[in-house]
Amino acid sequence: MSKASALTARPATEPVHRLHLPQKLRNLELFLLLIACFINASAVVLVQLGALGELDPTLVLLGAGLSALVISLHIVLRFVARDADPFILPIATLLNGIGIAMIYRIDIADKESGWESAAVRQTVWSALAIFCAILVLLVIRNHRVLFRYTYIAGLVGVLLLFLPLVPGLGQEISGARVWIRVGSFGTFQPGEIAKIALAVFFAGYLVRNRDSLSMVGKKILGARFPRFRDLGPILVVWALSMSVIIFQRDLGTALLYFGLFLVMLYLATGRLSWVILGMGLFLGGALIASQTLNYVNGRFTNWLDALNPAVYDAKGGSFQLVQGLFGLAKGGLLGTGWGQGRPEITPVPQSDYIIASLGEELGLAGIFAILALYLLFVARGFRIGFAGQDDFGKLLAVGLAFVVALQCFIVIGGVTRVIPLTGLTTPFLAAGGSSLVANWIIAALLLRLSDTVRNQPRLVV
Amino acid sequence: MNVSELTLLVLRIGFLLLLWMFIFGIVYALRSDLFGQRVRKMKADAAPVPPAAFPASAVPVAVPVAAAVAEAFTAPVARASPGTQDVPGAQAGLATSQNTTRLVITSGPKAGTEFPLSSDTITIGRSSDSSLVIRDDYTSTHHARLMLWHDEWMLQDLDSTNGTFLAGSRVTVPTKIPLNATVKIGATSFELRR
Repeated sequence: MSKASALTARPATEPVHRLHLPQKLRNLELFLLLIACFINASAVVLVQLGALGELDPTLVLLGAGLSALVISLHIVLRFVARDADPFILPIATLLNGIGIAMIYRIDIADKESGWESAAVRQTVWSALAIFCAILVLLVIRNHRVLFRYTYIAGLVGVLLLFLPLVPGLGQEISGARVWIRVGSFGTFQPGEIAKIALAVFFAGYLVRNRDSLSMVGKKILGARFPRFRDLGPILVVWALSMSVIIFQRDLGTALLYFGLFLVMLYLATGRLSWVILGMGLFLGGALIASQTLNYVNGRFTNWLDALNPAVYDAKGGSFQLVQGLFGLAKGGLLGTGWGQGRPEITPVPQSDYIIASLGEELGLAGIFAILALYLLFVARGFRIGFAGQDDFGKLLAVGLAFVVALQCFIVIGGVTRVIPLTGLTTPFLAAGGSSLVANWIIAALLLRLSDTVRNQPRLVV
Repeated sequence: MNVSELTLLVLRIGFLLLLWMFIFGIVYALRSDLFGQRVRKMKADAAPVPPAAFPASAVPVAVPVAAAVAEAFTAPVARASPGTQDVPGAQAGLATSQNTTRLVITSGPKAGTEFPLSSDTITIGRSSDSSLVIRDDYTSTHHARLMLWHDEWMLQDLDSTNGTFLAGSRVTVPTKIPLNATVKIGATSFELRR
């Protein structure tokens, strides 16, 4: 709308110069995308050379199919989001491809092939996830429509979050009850999709209500603390995440949602007191949980006393954590090389522990490269939020980027023993369909937001 | 086919190098985000900006009066535009969404250019995602923004290095903009007009 008026009301004196031609951004994206696809293919080839000593064309063909899908997403962007950020798609593609290569490598070690193989399933899920991303880009032409569905998004988020508790539908895997069974196809983790719905809800809710949350309150020690009756929202979200800890027995998910809400609240109000208050609430809750709930207590013991032989040998002890650390140590600076380490010794090396597996085979240099990719992805999201024109878009972009960052911190921090280990998937890398779908939808929403941000009248002096 | 240890070592290091080259490629493409947009050398024959016409020390509080005084001095050339109703100083009305339709550059390299206003926020700075990109030595990457607040146009300085001046006084807090008052950023001045 503003674009049209800009075109008609253009002055006769000077033509308006465009700093970036839209196609220029897309061409840069295509160039980076081709490099990313080449790196993905070479990772699979190196796995085969390292682990099998020969080349096997089947998975390379599957990888080519994936590259074709990613490039079709790129072509869709050329038509429906010409000004979108050119870095998000190549980064997501590369992370996804490295993940598939590592899962494939562990399949070789476990001698699994065909539909039993996690790598084939991961590739199919990736295709589905990229297809979902294309759908999101085609359906949501302007992110502001999401603002209309704020409360529906909130309801959907909460329902998805608690869907696994429904008897007969939910499924318990290694203690946590966060999966649902979908036919014979496998399991799905609805909480992953819930994080997008909740980010939309928090953004819309906070844009509508931030005045009352930021303006009033008493000043204590230099920070303005909110009134008691304004504590409602934070207490509700706190209760929600505590019930996730108690009923679903999943510490990581609870921390993820609460952290997301806290950061968006801070962004919307600019009050540090909310962060202090929220962190106090969560730490208090986690401490009480660690005293009363067995599984939380076990996590804390494994974290603090991991190398104690008694803890190491105990059932549900720190065996997995310490094996992961041994793997990372074996990798050293440059790693053992694709297919030449032994990451399969660690339990679940392709999902929760994929970072330890990658650290063993690619070394510190490889892990830092992967962390740098996450850093760039998240920085692009913050950047989109910063350049955004409307408050809802700003909050949503930063919320979505932050949820990826926080998830990386929780899972990689857990594997490297910075914080107690909690089961979450590493975004884009780890084996798990729901996580892939959710993260590709996040990427699509960020692409959509960045397109709207750049789509404005521009004058260069 | 048996692959030798040496080949695998070379391939392994080659893969890591490729990975890092990809990352540095992205960082290189993002360099303007990290270090700011490249500065364009000001041409000597660009529209002269007399620094004397800029009473920075004069009456910082009385904005509307200073506005009238300042614009009488700074923008005599641009005043030649056909607008007859906006006699300097005759009205000190605030720029609102109803009475303001355009932003006119009054001095600097692109003096005379107009820019239509809608209800969107206008960001000003050297970065390429600003709505109004000013690329000179004195402008910060994200310098200032114009936004509608309760239907009135406000000017907010985004912690710029060299400051944003509304009618000669430096803007420190979001300030309402009088119609036809000169806003000066770097070597460029502009006004909001009906």
